[in-house]
Amino acid sequence: MGVREKVKSNIQRNIDRKYFKRLLGIIAKKPILYAYGSTFSSISSKYLNIYSIKHVRDAYNGEKPVGFGSLFLPFELFHATGISPFLPEIIAGFTAGLGIADKTLKKASSNWYSQDLCTFHRSASGAVEMDLFPEPSFIICTNLACDAAQKSFYHYAHSYGIEKNYCLLDVPYENNPRSVKYLADQLKRLAENITASAGKKIDMKSFADTIKLSNEFREWALKINNIRKKLLDYPPDFSGLDFILPFHGLMGTEGAVELYKNVYQELNALLTKQKENTDTSRRQPKRMLWMHLKPYYKSQIFETINDGNCQIAFEEINNIYWPRLDPERPFESLALKMLSHPLTGKASDRIAALGRMADDYNIDGAILFTHWGCRQSNGSARIIKDYFKKRGIPVLVLDGDCVDKSNSTSGQIKTRLQGYIEILNSI
Amino acid sequence: MYTCGIDIGSVSTEVVILESSNGNDAAKLFTYIISPTGANSKIAAEKTLEKACLQSGLDRDRIDAIVATGYGRINVPFADKNITEISCHARGAVSSFAGIKTVIDIGGQDSKVIKLEDGNPIDFLMNDKCAAGTGRFLEVMARALEIDLEHFTDIFLNTEEHVDISSTCTVFAESEIVSLIGQGVDKNKIIRGLIYSIVSKITSMVERIGLEEPVCMTGGVAKNLGVVKALEESLNIKINIPEEPQITGALGAAHLALDL
Repeated sequence: MGVREKVKSNIQRNIDRKYFKRLLGIIAKKPILYAYGSTFSSISSKYLNIYSIKHVRDAYNGEKPVGFGSLFLPFELFHATGISPFLPEIIAGFTAGLGIADKTLKKASSNWYSQDLCTFHRSASGAVEMDLFPEPSFIICTNLACDAAQKSFYHYAHSYGIEKNYCLLDVPYENNPRSVKYLADQLKRLAENITASAGKKIDMKSFADTIKLSNEFREWALKINNIRKKLLDYPPDFSGLDFILPFHGLMGTEGAVELYKNVYQELNALLTKQKENTDTSRRQPKRMLWMHLKPYYKSQIFETINDGNCQIAFEEINNIYWPRLDPERPFESLALKMLSHPLTGKASDRIAALGRMADDYNIDGAILFTHWGCRQSNGSARIIKDYFKKRGIPVLVLDGDCVDKSNSTSGQIKTRLQGYIEILNSI
Repeated sequence: MYTCGIDIGSVSTEVVILESSNGNDAAKLFTYIISPTGANSKIAAEKTLEKACLQSGLDRDRIDAIVATGYGRINVPFADKNITEISCHARGAVSSFAGIKTVIDIGGQDSKVIKLEDGNPIDFLMNDKCAAGTGRFLEVMARALEIDLEHFTDIFLNTEEHVDISSTCTVFAESEIVSLIGQGVDKNKIIRGLIYSIVSKITSMVERIGLEEPVCMTGGVAKNLGVVKALEESLNIKINIPEEPQITGALGAAHLALDL
C-alpha cells in the first residue's frame, strides 16, 4: 500500500475532526508535505496537492478565524480580511475522493436532508452534523448560480449557532454599473463587519496586495489556457477538473500564484517538446470540452475518454471570465468579477461563453456532466445541446453524481461514453 | 469469409454469423442463435458461440473476426473488438432497412433511442436507470398477472379499454397491479394499461431525441405487436420491425466485424 492509500485508509478508519487536524498538522510540515507531493507523477499534481493540503491545514489549525464560503464567492475578500477560507462544497468533493462520503451522506439522510438535494451540499451537511469541519466564525455565501448553497449554508450557521455571522451576498442578474455598486457596497460592508469583529478597520493595503496576487494568478491561468489551446499530451495524472479548489479558494494568495506558475512551466515544456516532434503520422485525438464538474470518487470516465483517442481539451470551470482587477478599487473589481461570471443571469450568457471556449480550444465534442440535483447547470442541458448541435458539435449529456457513487453506475456511464466516443470518432 | 457478432444482454445472449465473399454489401446471414445469459456472461458468450457453430456445422476457426456488444461485451476475451450496443443496433437496423433514421430498442434491461444520419448514429438516449420502459417491466407484470407474456399482444389487440397504471417504478407498479386484481379489475384492461405505460416512457424518449422517419424497432420487446401498435399510435408513425428484432445488436456487430 502506497503512502496515499495509507493516508486514505487512516482517514476512513478515523472519521473525526481532531484526527483530521492532527493528521493535517503532520502532513503539512514542509519535508513531509513535499515528500508526499512527490508521490504524484507530475509537477502540476505535486503542487496542487501541496497547496490544497496547506489550505485545508490552515483552516483546521485554528490560527486564524475560519470563514465557510460557497464556491462562487471572491475569496480574495477572505484573504484580505485575514480569515481562513474553508469551502464545504469542495471538501464534500474530497469526502468522495477519500471514500468517506457514504458516511457523511448517511448522516445527512438521517438528519432530514432531502435526497433531492445536491450531494455536494448533502455530504457537507452530514460532515457538519458529524462535527468534522473546523469551527467557523463566519458563514458567507452567494446566490450566484447555486440555489442550494444559500439554504444549506444557513443551516450550517444554525448548526454552529452563528446565524448572526451568516451573510448572503445578493448578486443581481444584470451586469451594469448599478449592479456593480449594489454588490460592491455589500462586499465592503461584509469586509467591515469581518474586520470589526476582530476590533480592526479594513486594511486597504492588504486588499490591494491581495488583488495584485489575484491578478498575477489570472495572468498565469491565462498563459496556461493559451498553452492548452494547442497542447496534445498532458502529464499522466493531470486533470483540469482537479483545480477547482485553488481556482476559487486560493485566489489572491502567493500559493495560487506559485502553483499556477509551476503548472505553466510543466505544460509549456510539454508544448515545446510537442513542437519539436516532427512525427506527423500520429492520429490527433478528438478534443472535448467538459462542462460542469466530474465525479470526485474513482471512476473510469477519463480512462475511457483516453482509450477512445479523445482528450479533455478544456473545462468550463477553468475559463477566465473576469477582467483584470483594480487594486485601488477592490470592492468594485470583485463585484464586477462576480457579475461577469457566465452563470450569473441568463443561460444565454453561459452558452455564449461555452461557444467562445469551443472556438478557442478547437473543440470536436462536448460533455455536460449533469450532477444529480444541480439545477443551475442541468436546467440548461437542452439549450446547450441544441446550440452545439447547430454548430455540428455532438454533445453528451451524462447523468451522474459527483459525490455519491451509489447514484451512478459505472457500467452505464461507460456505455454512454463509449457510444458517444464511437459517434465522435466516426465524424 | 465469416464474421460473428455476439450481443450479451442481461436476459439473453445472441450470436449472429455472417457469410460474405465481397465485403459488407454481400454479407448474408449464415446462422443465428438466442440463448439465456444466466449468471456468467463470459460462459454465455462462449457457449452460445459454440451452439451457433454446432447448429450451422461451421468450424469456429473459420470465423475471421468477432465483435462483442451489449452490457457483457467486455467479458468476451476471444472477441477482436467490443463496440457499444448503440453503434451495433444502428448498424443492424440499417442492414435490415436502409435509410432508417431512428432506432427504438427495447431490451430486457434497458431501452434506447438512436438517431441516425446517412446510416451512422449521431445521437442517442438511454434509459437504464430503472426497469420502467424495458422488457423486464413487462416480464414482472406478466408474472404478477399470472398470464404468459406471449398472450399480451392478443389481449391488447382485442381489448378496448384500459386502466391507467400510475406507478413508474416496476416494484410499485407490481403492487398496484396486485391491488387492481384484488379490486376485481379486468386483467385484460390492466395489460392494455401496462403497454400504454411502457409506450408513454418510450414516446417521451423519442420526442426528446427528435423523431425522424423511417423508424425501426429492435430488441425482444419488438416481438410484442401490442407494444408496437401502441407505439405507432402514440407517435403517429409506421414502425419497421426486422424479421428477428432480438438479434439486431448481434447482427450489427457481425457487420461491423467486416470492417476490422
